[in-house]
Amino acid sequence: MAESKLDLLQGTLDLMVLQTLAAMGSLHGYGIARRIEQVSADNVLLNQGTVYASLVRSHQRGWISAEWGISSNNRKAKFYSITKKGRKHLSEDAAYWQRLSSVIGRVLAMQEEGGDQ
Amino acid sequence: MIDRLRQFFYRLRSLFHRAQLDHELNAELAAHLELAIEENLQRGMPAEEARRYALIRFGGTEQVKQQHREARGLPALDILLQDLRYAVRGLFKNAGFTTAAVLTLALGIAVNATMFSLVSAFLLRRPPGRDPEHVVVVSSVNPNKVFHADAFPVSAPNYFAWREANHVFADMAADEYRTVNLTSQDQPVALPSAAVSANYFSVLSVTPQLGRTFEAGEDQPGQERVVILSYELWERHFGSDASLIGRTILLNRENYTVIGVMPASFRLLGFTPQLWTPLVLTATDQTAAAHKDRSLYLFARLKHDATLEQARAELVTLARRAEKRFPETEKGWGAGVRTLPDFLIYDFEIRSALAVMMTTVGFVLMIACFNVAGLLLARAAGRRKELAIRIALGAGRLRIIRQLLTEGLVIAFLGGSMGLLLAYWGINFVRANMTFNEAISSVPLSLDWNVFLFALGVSLFSAVLCGLAPALKSSRTDINTNLKDESRAASAGRSHRRLRAVLVTGEIAVALFLLIGTGLLIRGIFLVEHQNLGFQADRLLTASVSLDSSRYKDASQQALFVGDVIPRLQHIPGAEAVAITSNLPAAGARGVTLRIKGKPDLPTNQGLSALDVVVTVDYFRAAGVPLLRGRTFTEMDNTAAPRVILVNQEFVHRHLQDQEPLGKQIGLDVGGATAEWSEIVGVVGNVKAYSEDTRDDPEVYEPYAQRPVPSFFIMVRVSSDPNSLASGLRNAVAQTDAELPLARVMSMPALIERQKGGNPFFTRMLGSFAILALILAAIGIYGLIAYSVSQRTHEIGIRVALGAKSPDVVRMVLWEGMKMTTIGAAIGLVLALPLPKIFDAIFYGLHIREPRLFFIVPIAILLVAMLATYIPARRVSTIEPMIALRHN
Repeated sequence: MAESKLDLLQGTLDLMVLQTLAAMGSLHGYGIARRIEQVSADNVLLNQGTVYASLVRSHQRGWISAEWGISSNNRKAKFYSITKKGRKHLSEDAAYWQRLSSVIGRVLAMQEEGGDQ
Repeated sequence: MIDRLRQFFYRLRSLFHRAQLDHELNAELAAHLELAIEENLQRGMPAEEARRYALIRFGGTEQVKQQHREARGLPALDILLQDLRYAVRGLFKNAGFTTAAVLTLALGIAVNATMFSLVSAFLLRRPPGRDPEHVVVVSSVNPNKVFHADAFPVSAPNYFAWREANHVFADMAADEYRTVNLTSQDQPVALPSAAVSANYFSVLSVTPQLGRTFEAGEDQPGQERVVILSYELWERHFGSDASLIGRTILLNRENYTVIGVMPASFRLLGFTPQLWTPLVLTATDQTAAAHKDRSLYLFARLKHDATLEQARAELVTLARRAEKRFPETEKGWGAGVRTLPDFLIYDFEIRSALAVMMTTVGFVLMIACFNVAGLLLARAAGRRKELAIRIALGAGRLRIIRQLLTEGLVIAFLGGSMGLLLAYWGINFVRANMTFNEAISSVPLSLDWNVFLFALGVSLFSAVLCGLAPALKSSRTDINTNLKDESRAASAGRSHRRLRAVLVTGEIAVALFLLIGTGLLIRGIFLVEHQNLGFQADRLLTASVSLDSSRYKDASQQALFVGDVIPRLQHIPGAEAVAITSNLPAAGARGVTLRIKGKPDLPTNQGLSALDVVVTVDYFRAAGVPLLRGRTFTEMDNTAAPRVILVNQEFVHRHLQDQEPLGKQIGLDVGGATAEWSEIVGVVGNVKAYSEDTRDDPEVYEPYAQRPVPSFFIMVRVSSDPNSLASGLRNAVAQTDAELPLARVMSMPALIERQKGGNPFFTRMLGSFAILALILAAIGIYGLIAYSVSQRTHEIGIRVALGAKSPDVVRMVLWEGMKMTTIGAAIGLVLALPLPKIFDAIFYGLHIREPRLFFIVPIAILLVAMLATYIPARRVSTIEPMIALRHN
């Protein structure tokens, strides 16, 4: 039985999408989904379709902009890119996640020590 | 925050660009799949496999679209719109049902909105001026039982004392209502006017349309010849001439300079005069005797930090101080404070009439709602299978309730809009019919925001009222029994029947209560209109005269005028008897307190009182008031002779305990004058104090020669049509004084008709509401019973098939209907029992006892209900059993 995939925590998908756009520049939905899959090395349980709900949310909040364009293999696709506001939000959010994960890491470490004794 | 707002706007926008957004999404998703397939193909997958793999990685397309829609839009609003679309579609399909429900509600809402326009115009409109909530009216509280005893005018000495001593008012103004004679080129006219202290307009904080208001000092003797006109007078009498400011007009034969015109919006209901002059108060108004002359209305502005309660407490203290210092005149008298709006409405006596009207139309609406609820219930029963399917497919209970309530909402809003349309006509109709009273008809009625919001609220309320019960009921639908095709229950379920029974009984109870209530009121008004007033009103011509103080300075000059004009009036061809009276019969009179010689003085608040009328010799012959004992006045009863007085029967009964009245001495406390003893020389019949009042009050009559008054009425009994003598009467008065105006020259019947005011109109309105309620109730009862019978068609078919005869079936159905009707009627009857007492309390002088109504109305209701039950019962009993059994 393969190791079960990670369920996405609320709000983490938005962060991943923003980070992907910040790193890669302008991308279409498929590109974003593929990139997240590659980076997470298929550790994340992600239906590619779910990025679209995240994209419309971020777009409404003004974090990303969207326009129709032509893909590398000459197909019409909607391209998204991160806005200034989106970068600001990303840095705030990233800082939050880093703090949270370091705290969680410390807490778990403490539990392991306790378990040894 | 701004982000949230921005997001909300996007979401709202997405509601209206649904198709376009969906189209874009489809294109985007299609591109996604193509990109994925292409990549898979490049990796060397076969075409079929590449496509399958791409779709798997993508997840369910429909779910993704749904997620997308929910993320971009407003799901709650989406559901509402969906429900609305569904409701409208459903209602369109059932045009008959929809028309019936909407029309019923529209009628109910229309009568409510129409009546509410009166409430809005009289009770909700703010008086003019800045901050009218801070303006209060200070009144005396009369210890005697007189009309509006707690809103009595104040004496000048008290005005001065209270203005100086209080700590709660920023300023206080006084106002006295008078009649002045305006003389211009054509005829002299008598106008209602107000003499006000110089600060009156600043206390009310109103500014003139033209010119200025009074300045300090203009209420001093010698400075007071200035006048401010009402907009109406300026427009009607002076043709809106702006150059009038600074010119002089002739008031009471004296020159007054016009200094201003008030705007049309400056109206104080019944306290709106045509012009304002300064109120001059001198040293004589400060004497102890002046305490008895209570004629001032005090308007004051509260200090910013003062409350109404503080003002009340302060005035109570001040009134007590006055009582201590002037026990002779102030004993028992108190003081009260009301806000200006409150005072105006209180004085207008319109609150109780409006309350009754609003309650009536409220009940009409309730019946309408019962009907619509019944209709919705019937419809919901027909949709049982549809609802069961929806529940089986996963619709939650809340979702079903929401859907059905939305339907009720759509009906209520259709009804509400149509009701508003009807109310528009209704308000125009009421306005056209409210011409009986100048003060009332001058208040503009309109479909204003208040009315609109009220109609909206009423519509929402009725939506919930009619929609909730059926919605709750239907949401409990049992899927299993309803989905099975053969689930034709022999009869409707218990809870369903109970709800229907509640609706029918409720409707009957409300209708009965309403019919008895309106019946009582209509009967009461009828009795008042057809009562014996105690005098002969027909063939009497009347006119009102106010002698101005510039030519008629004292009592002897007033008596001279009367002595001169009476013979001239008697010479008019067709005049049978001529009299002068301080008050016309059945048209109100002033009350006095009195003492009877040889009887101990009672505490002031239990003192004896009577109506006091001053009349000339021929009054009783002219009015047709019968002399019961003793004699009436003669020419001998003049200033040189001992004072004499006549009393009415009620006086003998109440104040003399039916003892021998002739020869008894009584003393009247007439304002200012020292009380003198007068001997009772005769007893006359009772005359109603007001034509719209059924009570008899003790009354005394004094001879004009012994107590002349400057304002009085001329009364002429004529042998033919009174109106034909009007010009003769005018000429006769003009011969005595050409500049003296006559006001209200009209026949006595016309005057009484005018005094009855809105009563006939009020009766007609109440009557039409009652009939509307009865018709609605009959339709509702018929609808509910017919529906319940049709639900039982199957059961009845079985009964007939098993041998039940047609009359048995009719009897059974009738019995069920009658059971509900009887219970409803009993509830309504019990509710209606205290009504006569309640009406006694709210309608001054209307004493209604009509036990017959308590039999007639229930019987009428029972008959209507029986008919409403019989028709469907008859129809179902004649049905072929085979058809009945197949009935779904």
